Amino acid sequence: MEPVLWALKTDKVKAALKEEKRLDDRALDAYRDIEVSNEVSKNAEGSARVRLGKTDVIAGVKMILGTPYPDSPGEGTISVGAELHPMAFSEYEFGPPKPDAIEVSRVVDRCIRESKTLNFKDLCIKEGEQIWICFIDLYPLNDDGNLFDAFSIAGLAALIDTKIPKIEDDKIVKGEYSGKLKLARQPLLSTFAKIGNTVVLDPTMVEQKAQDARFSVATTDDNYLCAFQKGGFGGFTGAEIDSCIDIATKASKMVRKKL
Amino acid sequence: MAKKDEKIDYVKNGKRVDGRKVEELRPLTIEVGVIDNADGSAYLEWGQNKVIVAVYGPRELLPKHKQDPRKAIVNFQYRMATFSVPDRKNPRPARREIEISKVCSEALQRAVFAERFPNTVIDVFVQILDSNAGSRAAGLSAASVALADAGIPMRDLVASTGVGKAGGEIILDLNKFEEDAPDAVDIPIAIMPRTEEIVLLQMDGLLTTKEWKKCLELGVKGCKQVYEVQRAALQKKYDAAGAVKGKEKKKEEKAAKKEKVK
Amino acid sequence: MNLSEKKLVIPGELIAEGRMKLGSHVFVENGKIYSDALGLFYENNEIASVVALKGRYIPRRGDLIVGIVNSEKFSGYTVDVNTINTSYISKDAVRDRLQRGVVFSAKINEVDELGEARLDDVRVFYGGEIFSITPVKVPRLIGKSGSMLNQLKDETGCNIMVGRNGWIWAKGGDTKLFAKALNLIEEESHKSNLTNKVGEFLKKNKVKK
Repeated sequence: MEPVLWALKTDKVKAALKEEKRLDDRALDAYRDIEVSNEVSKNAEGSARVRLGKTDVIAGVKMILGTPYPDSPGEGTISVGAELHPMAFSEYEFGPPKPDAIEVSRVVDRCIRESKTLNFKDLCIKEGEQIWICFIDLYPLNDDGNLFDAFSIAGLAALIDTKIPKIEDDKIVKGEYSGKLKLARQPLLSTFAKIGNTVVLDPTMVEQKAQDARFSVATTDDNYLCAFQKGGFGGFTGAEIDSCIDIATKASKMVRKKL
Repeated sequence: MAKKDEKIDYVKNGKRVDGRKVEELRPLTIEVGVIDNADGSAYLEWGQNKVIVAVYGPRELLPKHKQDPRKAIVNFQYRMATFSVPDRKNPRPARREIEISKVCSEALQRAVFAERFPNTVIDVFVQILDSNAGSRAAGLSAASVALADAGIPMRDLVASTGVGKAGGEIILDLNKFEEDAPDAVDIPIAIMPRTEEIVLLQMDGLLTTKEWKKCLELGVKGCKQVYEVQRAALQKKYDAAGAVKGKEKKKEEKAAKKEKVK
Repeated sequence: MNLSEKKLVIPGELIAEGRMKLGSHVFVENGKIYSDALGLFYENNEIASVVALKGRYIPRRGDLIVGIVNSEKFSGYTVDVNTINTSYISKDAVRDRLQRGVVFSAKINEVDELGEARLDDVRVFYGGEIFSITPVKVPRLIGKSGSMLNQLKDETGCNIMVGRNGWIWAKGGDTKLFAKALNLIEEESHKSNLTNKVGEFLKKNKVKK
């Protein structure tokens, strides 16, 4: 869509928000409808597809054998990757990951890593020699805003679905599994857009286009916060951040029920 | 994996290792209109293969020096998700993906009335979500459905399948196990079904002329089976009975349930 | 349109043999006539023509369209009218200076070989909103001798301007109801009895005063 048409649409968003209304009639602190399904790929060790309103994403997990970092010989690791595939939105292009894609994947990575959801010691097979690397790869299919949360939900749903491949003679036996991946908790991102002086949860694409700033907070089911990320040119007040955390804690509980 | 000296019957009593007949495709389904932002889209499942395709365009091709003032350029981009294969695939496009993208672009270019849209590009993004031999045929077949869904004028659809040889037998739509046979030959083929004009053809392996003829005959037959599924998928989207989109149907069902509860 | 038997056809499907007048979205190969699009074919002995169900708007001379001003150039304005290429308004064709983002209606005066259009008869709109529909569905939105559009105007109370390019400007009245009705037309345009269906929808969903 032409930037000039976006400008007209974002004007509508801003006008409605002055009366605390959103174009899709949602409450300011409400998520869009969420649908979670698994079995995107049989070749994946775990996979998930998440629909967040019209935003549609998939996540897949591959468990790969690797050697540990010298500074943590007894620990496995994870790696989160995201590609903003041009299939999902007319403004995306192929090519090396751009800052947007790198940011979202790193934020999702931190959400999972820093929550200590995965015990990295469990991912060690032979100390100093062999570990599991858990690759979580994220793809958007249709981007109607808030890839951060959609990716975070999909990533967690894929991890919940993940089976650990069986090992024989230091090699993976294809198609056979030794058990499920153990998760200690369920971390989820909640992302807010600040438009003018109003903060809304789970922005749609047109709200994202209208936003002055963005804030994401990761919360766990046992009420920890495990990551923050602020983006965009505008700023937040402390009270706004507090309110975001409050809303995120409540809203993410609703989301977890879908997993 | 079978040992070299161990003989496997790829066809026994008219049946293949997965129970299919020689001329039988794996189960194939296509759904039209699955990506809201795209001008046209399709989702295809073919055996274990799962493919999603989005079409954008015709739109202005940039940078301008890439434009062709006589026609639109069909830009088919085939990509495999990292988790779509047994080992994790490096997300960077491999030489294989680039080659497949090129040959499939050319196949579709033939079917599209490209001369009506000078200086433009028709982007066809093909994402393989899961694979088990024959993913390019799956991608190409889904792409032509997505092009029709986008309202791109075309001479015909493009239908594609794999055909080939395993254990000396000529069979349609090889699966991964058959493709790994010691003497395996895999032939991806695509035709415009009305004229049977071949718009894509690749082959590697050893094949006699006689075997190739059989392969072609079987391949064309297979493509026509694919075509029937493509046609049905397009018609289903606008069928009077099936015109209510999936989402709304669900909503209606939900509403009906709620009423029952009351 | 002669409403006889209608049939859903796909690209490359045979629709007629022998000599006939050719309408839109058809092509001839070896004396036979085929559809080039996914669309509806109305059985008819005089003309072979297919109504496409989707597709981009191709500018045609004489069409009335709705557009948005993109940028000012030395002697005119480049404008977006939902086509592949940008279109152009000469400064001679407008009295006042146009700002970026201004919505207007205009007539297509000329289309060059690359599909770029020059516009004329420019009318600027103040306020209101812009809506869109798949361009090939515009005739359904207007209806037989304007029946659908008149009904929409009456029931929503909106001031409505429909562009052949699939963009629609509306102001005043119940624009939310109009947007919902537009959605209904978008989704069910290929079915018959649409005007009545939309009429019922409007009456049912109208906010009572």
